[in-house]
Amino acid sequence: MQAALKTASVGNSDGLAKGKMSNDSFITLFMVCVLAGVFLLACVVVPNFWLAQNILNLATNYWYVIILGIGVTFLLVTGNFDMSVGGVIALTGVLSVWFVQGANVSRNELANGLGLPYGVAVAFALLCAMGVGAVNAYFIAKLKVPSIIITLGTMMLARGVAQIITQGAQRNTSLPDVFGVLGNATVGASPIKISLLLTLLLIVLAVVVERKTVFGRRTYLIGANITAAKLSGVKVGRHLATLYIASALLAGITGILLASEYKAGVSNRATGYEFDALVIVLLGGTSIAGGFGSVLGTVVGALILSVVTSSATGLLLSPDWQFLMKGVVTFLAILAQRYALDKRKG
Amino acid sequence: MKTAMERTRAWDGYVKKYYIYAVLLFMVTLFSVVKLDRVAFFGRGHFLSPDSIVNLLRSAVPILTVCGAFTLLMISGHIDLSVGSAMSLSAVAFSWMILNGFALLPSLALTLVLGIAMGFLNGFLVMKLRITPVIATLVTLNLFKGIALLIVPDGLSAIKGAEGKIMPAWINNYGRKEVLLGLPWAFYVAVLIIAAMVVLQRKTIIGKYSAAIGGNRTSAELSGINAVKMVWLLYVVVGVFAALAGVARASYMSLGDPLSGDGMELDCIIAVLLGGTAFSGGEGSVSKTVVGALIIMCVTTGLMTVIPAFWQTMAKGTVLIGAVVLNHLLVQKRMNQA
Repeated sequence: MQAALKTASVGNSDGLAKGKMSNDSFITLFMVCVLAGVFLLACVVVPNFWLAQNILNLATNYWYVIILGIGVTFLLVTGNFDMSVGGVIALTGVLSVWFVQGANVSRNELANGLGLPYGVAVAFALLCAMGVGAVNAYFIAKLKVPSIIITLGTMMLARGVAQIITQGAQRNTSLPDVFGVLGNATVGASPIKISLLLTLLLIVLAVVVERKTVFGRRTYLIGANITAAKLSGVKVGRHLATLYIASALLAGITGILLASEYKAGVSNRATGYEFDALVIVLLGGTSIAGGFGSVLGTVVGALILSVVTSSATGLLLSPDWQFLMKGVVTFLAILAQRYALDKRKG
Repeated sequence: MKTAMERTRAWDGYVKKYYIYAVLLFMVTLFSVVKLDRVAFFGRGHFLSPDSIVNLLRSAVPILTVCGAFTLLMISGHIDLSVGSAMSLSAVAFSWMILNGFALLPSLALTLVLGIAMGFLNGFLVMKLRITPVIATLVTLNLFKGIALLIVPDGLSAIKGAEGKIMPAWINNYGRKEVLLGLPWAFYVAVLIIAAMVVLQRKTIIGKYSAAIGGNRTSAELSGINAVKMVWLLYVVVGVFAALAGVARASYMSLGDPLSGDGMELDCIIAVLLGGTAFSGGEGSVSKTVVGALIIMCVTTGLMTVIPAFWQTMAKGTVLIGAVVLNHLLVQKRMNQA
């Protein structure tokens, strides 16, 4: 056990040298510097970028991708992908709408739902999300199918069900008033939305799990050396299952908040969010090679992406540029991080 | 006792060898039994009418063009998620050149060069910079798609003839004009490519080497195979054929749609998995992938006629997961036991 844990921590804190920063923290700090650099550059180049309102927007723009990123970070640390998160958002959003819509209220099929109370609807929708996570987990942990293939499949399944329920469009009528509360309510008199507060809570929770719990450390152990993890008694299958279900649950929460914010269940909501989540996780320095990465890094990654995309908008570039920029930024980040780590090792 | 075991083993071998034809037969029978005559898309006819078969083969041209090389790449244990976007970008580039007065051959040649460049980039990222294939090609997927979207002028959804500039009619010559049995040049080119890929996989050192790399890269390298060059070459080949598929699609539709290749990578993966290529590489067959590709085309075109469009995503997802299960039962399980 001791030996195995040490193996795990090699990639993680460079042999536990005293007083020396761990590689995880080093990369996070490195990306914070990159963030500062990108931000300063944007302030110079883009008009009105430094205004307080804009900075507030920058920090809060990507809350939904951050929530997804938490689950994806943990999974990527173990060396697995989750491409189904975007589909799960669409699925839970549509389901939550369908469940609360009044039963037999209209001739229009898209206006009729099951007429459940909001709380029950949310609970059921989240259960369905976790079901998708469970399917992922079964295939990956039990049948040893590569995660990228099966999660692309469940992505299509989840989005497909959403499209069937909405007939390829959206459901937004005959919703009770309570439906729009969760996504739009603010905390007290401040302009902070509940979803943002929840994001902060989830970040704190994730950091605690990652740093301070056995569960978190085992996640790194699995990523660093899966054989060692198995030999030291970690139930790898069960661990991965937990992570996949948690990731799907986080996506489900996001889906419900987004549906509530727009008061609609849209079947192609969140197209490509799985890529955004992966991009911020990679920007944050998490490595697919396993055993390396941090949730705080992912948050920094989200901020970098936010600065880059909104400066493109500020420069009046067409939205089509976003694909290109996300790609280039990700490559640069991967290479820069690798270079920095190599330099550090000397 | 021993004979019984041998018999089971022989039976297992048959199942593994021929199940894919059974699946194809099942799909064809299924869609033939379902009456399609209320749908105008195929004309009033049966799933097995000549018209609908020609239509199926014609819409299968892009996947048939790509899937052979894609299988070789998967056999070598690597994946290219960017094929769909590479195809879209090539379609856009090709039709842009045609629209702006290039002749057929120069634009074809330039598009193929573009394909080489895209494949080269993927190979460089994966083999030289050693970025995980999934991540590298997922990012190039978005790169190529972004470039394709940027080439298309604002306010238009595709590169197409407009006032002042008319798309010449001969753009159809490659992908739509009937040359033999109602099928266009593109189809016969695809057949040639498949034949070449089958020979490449079975009879040449390239096929053996890719299987060796997919089976165990370290031991392949220790026995003198240059894995970096080999897989890099495969990425370039996939890129070229993706470009050719894009040309076929653009030529068929007379326009360059920057989203026309979306989902191609998934179709290819499904075809490869149905064809029994192992997830992790090392084993597989190009010819069976082709049958897998035909199965998918049956499902897509067959379903398109009997169910509403918004069921498509669900259907594709189900087929993908079905392919994974089938692959697990027939290939992976045995490999794990061995």
